[in-house]
Amino acid sequence: MTAELISTDVLIIGGGLAGERCAIEAAAAGHDVMILSLVPPRRSHSCAAQGGMQAALGNCVKAEGDNTSLHFLDTVRGSDWGADQEVARIFCEEAPVAVRELAHLGVPWTRVRGGKNSYVIKGERVEIEERMENDGLIMHRDFGGTAKWRACYAAAATGHAALYAVDSEVIRLGITVRDRTEAVELIHDGDRCWGAVARCLRTGNHFAVVAKATVIATGGYGRIYGQYTTNATINEGMGAVIAMNTGIVPLGNMEAVQFHPTALAPSNILITEGCRGDGGYLLDKDLHRFMVDAEPEKQELASRDVVSRHMKQRMRDGKGVETPYGPHLWLDLRHLGEAHLTTKLREVFEICRDFVGLNPAHELIPVQPTQHYSMGGIRVNKDGQAYNMAGLFAAGEAACWDMHGFNRLGGNSLAETVVAGRIVGKKVAEFVAATSLDVRTTVALEARRTAAGRAANWLQRTGPGPSVYAIRNAMGETMMSKVGIFRNGDELEQAVAEISALLADCDKAVLQSKVPGMNPELSFALRLKGMLRLAFVTANGALLRTESRGAHYRSDYPLRNDAEWLNRTLVRWAGDAAEPVFSYEPVGEIDLPPGHRGYGSDERIEMRDTIEQYNENVYARQAQHGRLDTVEPPGSRMHRGAWKEYV
Amino acid sequence: MKTQESATPRRLSFEIFRYNPEDPESVPHMQTYELDEAPYMSLYLALNQIRETQDPSLQFDFACRSAICGSCGMMVNGRPALGCRTLTSDLPDVVRLHPLPVFKLIGDLSVDTGTWFREMVEKSEAWIHTEQPFDPEATEARMDDDLAQAIYEGERCIECGCCVASCGVANVNKDFFGPAGLNRIARFMMDPRDARNDSDWFEVVANADGVFGCIGMMACHDVCPKELPLLEVYAYLRRKSLAAAFAKR
Amino acid sequence: MLGDLESSAVDLARRQVAYELLSGASGLVLALFMWGHMILVGSILTGSRGFDWLAGMLEDYYIAQPTVIVIFALFLVHGALASRKIPAQLAERKRMIALQKGLARAGHNRPATASDISPAQPHVESLLWIWQVRTGMVILVLGSFHVILLGFDVLTPLFGERIGIEALTSTERVRGGLWLPYALLLICVEFHAGVGLYRLGVKWGSGRFLSRRVLLNIERVLLWFFLVLGFIVLLVLAGILPPPLAFLLSGVAG
Ligand SMILES: Cc1cc2nc3c(=O)[nH]c(=O)nc-3n(C[C@H](O)[C@H](O)[C@H](O)COP(=O)(O)OP(=O)(O)OC[C@H]3O[C@@H](n4cnc5c(N)ncnc54)[C@H](O)[C@@H]3O)c2cc1C
Ligand code: HEM
Ligand code: HEM
Ligand code: SF4
Ligand code: F3S
Ligand code: FES
Repeated sequence: MTAELISTDVLIIGGGLAGERCAIEAAAAGHDVMILSLVPPRRSHSCAAQGGMQAALGNCVKAEGDNTSLHFLDTVRGSDWGADQEVARIFCEEAPVAVRELAHLGVPWTRVRGGKNSYVIKGERVEIEERMENDGLIMHRDFGGTAKWRACYAAAATGHAALYAVDSEVIRLGITVRDRTEAVELIHDGDRCWGAVARCLRTGNHFAVVAKATVIATGGYGRIYGQYTTNATINEGMGAVIAMNTGIVPLGNMEAVQFHPTALAPSNILITEGCRGDGGYLLDKDLHRFMVDAEPEKQELASRDVVSRHMKQRMRDGKGVETPYGPHLWLDLRHLGEAHLTTKLREVFEICRDFVGLNPAHELIPVQPTQHYSMGGIRVNKDGQAYNMAGLFAAGEAACWDMHGFNRLGGNSLAETVVAGRIVGKKVAEFVAATSLDVRTTVALEARRTAAGRAANWLQRTGPGPSVYAIRNAMGETMMSKVGIFRNGDELEQAVAEISALLADCDKAVLQSKVPGMNPELSFALRLKGMLRLAFVTANGALLRTESRGAHYRSDYPLRNDAEWLNRTLVRWAGDAAEPVFSYEPVGEIDLPPGHRGYGSDERIEMRDTIEQYNENVYARQAQHGRLDTVEPPGSRMHRGAWKEYV
Repeated sequence: MKTQESATPRRLSFEIFRYNPEDPESVPHMQTYELDEAPYMSLYLALNQIRETQDPSLQFDFACRSAICGSCGMMVNGRPALGCRTLTSDLPDVVRLHPLPVFKLIGDLSVDTGTWFREMVEKSEAWIHTEQPFDPEATEARMDDDLAQAIYEGERCIECGCCVASCGVANVNKDFFGPAGLNRIARFMMDPRDARNDSDWFEVVANADGVFGCIGMMACHDVCPKELPLLEVYAYLRRKSLAAAFAKR
Repeated sequence: MLGDLESSAVDLARRQVAYELLSGASGLVLALFMWGHMILVGSILTGSRGFDWLAGMLEDYYIAQPTVIVIFALFLVHGALASRKIPAQLAERKRMIALQKGLARAGHNRPATASDISPAQPHVESLLWIWQVRTGMVILVLGSFHVILLGFDVLTPLFGERIGIEALTSTERVRGGLWLPYALLLICVEFHAGVGLYRLGVKWGSGRFLSRRVLLNIERVLLWFFLVLGFIVLLVLAGILPPPLAFLLSGVAG
């Protein structure tokens, strides 16, 4: 049995790459660290990332001349200028160090082979002579939306290898990990966070963990799209929910949702972008390579939102392959050859064989775009500290640190987890060193009672009522069909209405099973309302944002509107409040002026202000929205204009 | 794509082990559920359907549902397999599901593989041992790509525990490193970044809880969903032990 | 070298290597010996003259006597070392058997499919191991008896009382009832040796040269060859079958 209250210096909620990397930093500084995770850390969804991790090392011929400024340019353009450019800068500069550090921790990165190599580039087989002096350095592969080959990879299991290396370090440092434990409520007194209430998923017991600093690194929340996501079943977004429930910590850019072009139909298992990076084609039902017409320059390797939209359009034009599960398109890897597929893309090969029973060396792969990544999340400043709440930090996909803006580039998020883990971990360590634990245990025990009461309430409800699973399924259908790749005002309004109705249903839902212990149905029911609230603010945010930017595409407002919407959505919604509160803050200081992304449409509505005018009060305005002071002054790491010689 | 549509779907019957240790009234027993088969139905889909429509108390673990995270090992008709990757079309009409043996039972099909694997990692100190601190300024140390691929091959283990569950020795000797443990050891032995030399490893691996505990039942190799070349790994460890035994001190 | 005393952990590990090597090597030598043994005993196929001649030769040149001692020693060494691997507790043995049954049955239930990955389906090696233990037990009893018996045959002539291995004694005792334990021993030994060699190969890395499938098939062919040969020999020894190769020696003067 666990005590009702335990304490630690640093509480990390989430055992994925971001959480664990952060934990290492704090533990190395001598603090007592505890990690909570729904699953053993190595089963976190970071392990599913196959493709690669962006870092401008410039080791192979196709990466020559790469540098952090080029990476910065790609990242900001990719974000459709929604990113915080200072954070993007910091990220691009730290990514090479983070990747090399992973090599130090044991990741078997694929290496440059000096001498002749044969690659497939844009469908052509090309011989390239790699420099002997680079032999044995970390290799790169091509990913969408980048000027150079930049994604470092460990064959086809980059996230897996990275996560295992980092988790090994966590174990080496003897960090306490409580797996099968879910954070269900933050302990706070209105402006200072003191840990979280957790629920043990073995026994169903609640206990409070009191901590000097709390880090939320719970990853994405793709499951608000029901089954229409590449995310794991555990990506249900409770991290964002508990932050939002405080009513004062805002979530940022919830409407910015990335759809991945190639999820395996019908199961929505991800087929990595590496396939297209290595030369895979997209074909329609007539086996026509439509991306060549649509994007002559980048072809299949345009950024994800662009490719997803062209695919969706193609299927709307009746060029999809019709099946009982809906239409899909084809991914063609046959020309890469069995040898390449069973080595460099082995995981893809296995997924095809095991889940649809086909051999990609000889057959086409059925694919469709589906929810993949959540750019939005808990809004934090550049130190990773949440708005309005001292002692609360967030990192990784759960956070809106905001280097991704409205579209993140493939390979940037895995790199973000370790870079943010390093940086935020350090800030957490500094923060903890400067504070002492003076929480009133009554606050913690009160929070615990509230959380336990919620579970008890679910168990007490009787009589007829909708099933929690039916509500979840309805939510998924609404989200994918109305808050998907193409959005418009009417559908978004319907979506908002439907989800409010589901929220009402949720209060009436009744459990079928009252068994003691973790009770899987109860465990899910406890998340359902939070998930619905996330879905609601996503749909509502999308409805309010009357422009198209990055992954957020409104067919009724097809242009990017820098005059009115060069900003970040913030949403707050207290656990007991009826409605969320939206507000908008500047994206951050602008260094690279808004322009054309290099792919997709070039049409847009230009800024009304000058860059100088925009930048003038940025930091003050963000502070008004709750941004807490950072250790270094805002803008200190901008390296303004450093990109200029590369455009 | 395989064509799986048939006129009338098969009626599948699932016999599932049930026991909830948290419930004093629960006793271990088998419970049967019936389900119509659907195209591409995996045990992930089937079990969720059973839980959502027939028995919400049923416990099992899935996370990635794409054979990557290693959460869903279970005994399928007596053989350990990943539930998410097992298609019902490959199974007979009656499917018996048990939790993996060896690991501590959490409830029904759910077992605690996490604790077992963490202990294994602690016991074998499966992390890079190095005196060199990380130098953020330096370029990465070089490594031959062939070696990187060889290490990667062992690194691919997803710690699903299927091999451990299938191994007779692991079933009776709690201290046996088990197939996955031996594989992890071999992966670090191979890694030049790890400062431990052959004779350091020798003490860990050359004993009845290490590679000499293995009696060559070979089930591990046959059930590993990631197709790890486990038998080659043991041969490597045996040969290394032999070399170390005869090496000069 | 092996056996030095210095650091205790390293020393323990060295001893383990030695045990593992010894049990494997003794098994290997015994298995090879059994094939040779088959050829020697097989000389009965040419009739008792050939058998006696060969036995006489081996005894006259003092090959048989040390062999008996060495083989018996190896037999005991192997038996002792190999049985370390047999779980001591009944519950453990039961667990292994239950596991093996499940694996074997799952294999039979499974049609070959796209998601079938293993090179050896259905999985048989767990089953083979359990039978290796069982046959080992039988060999321990029957083999000891046999070797001690033959030990008397081979060694007592040294003290001038008897005449060593002789077709007459051999056939008489086989006919007199030893055919039954011999038949059992034969099956057990051939099975045990065949599977043992296969396992030995896989354990030390034959996979680099031969796939398990191929190796297992080679093992099966050899197993059946020696089993059939052994039974013919046994039938001849029991006098049920006339020596089929007797014509070879028909012209040779006695
Ligand atoms: C299929 C797929 C492939 C991808 N491929 C790539 C790629 O090639 N390159 C790339 O850059 N990015 C890729 N991504 C994105 C990238 O993998 C993720 O963004 C990143 O791994 C997220 O890491 P994280 O540490 O933030 O979260 P996660 O790894 O998701 O970890 C979340 C952790 O939080 C825990 N948790 C969640 N909720 C709670 C709670 N309430 N209480 C306690 N613990 C909780 C979980 O147990 C888990 O340990 C991919 C994503 C997917 C879905
Ligand atoms: C060096 C020691 C050995 C000698 C000299 C020897 C000799 C013989 C002889 C002479 C026979 C004929 C039958 C008889 O005389 O009883 C025989 C038969 C047999 N021996 Fe041995 N033997 C030896 C070791 C073994 C061992 C170690 C085994 C197995 C454990 C074994 C298994 C058999 C079997 C199964 C037969 C029956 C013949 C057949 O059908 O092939 N022998 N042996
Ligand atoms: C004394 C009676 C015997 C017993 C109790 C016995 C038992 C065993 C056991 C339990 C094993 C498995 C060991 C392991 O997996 O590590 C084994 C292996 C083996 N046995 Fe025997 N055995 C006996 C006699 C023999 C004989 C007479 C032969 C030769 C014909 C033989 C040949 C082998 C071989 C080749 C192996 C494989 C060795 C290995 O895998 O390391 N055994 N034996
Ligand atoms: S070796 Fe294979 S079966 Fe064993 S835990 Fe690893 S992946 Fe699973
Ligand atoms: S099943 Fe066990 S005995 Fe050895 S070959 Fe595999 S570890
Ligand atoms: S659910 Fe991840 S391996 Fe099956």
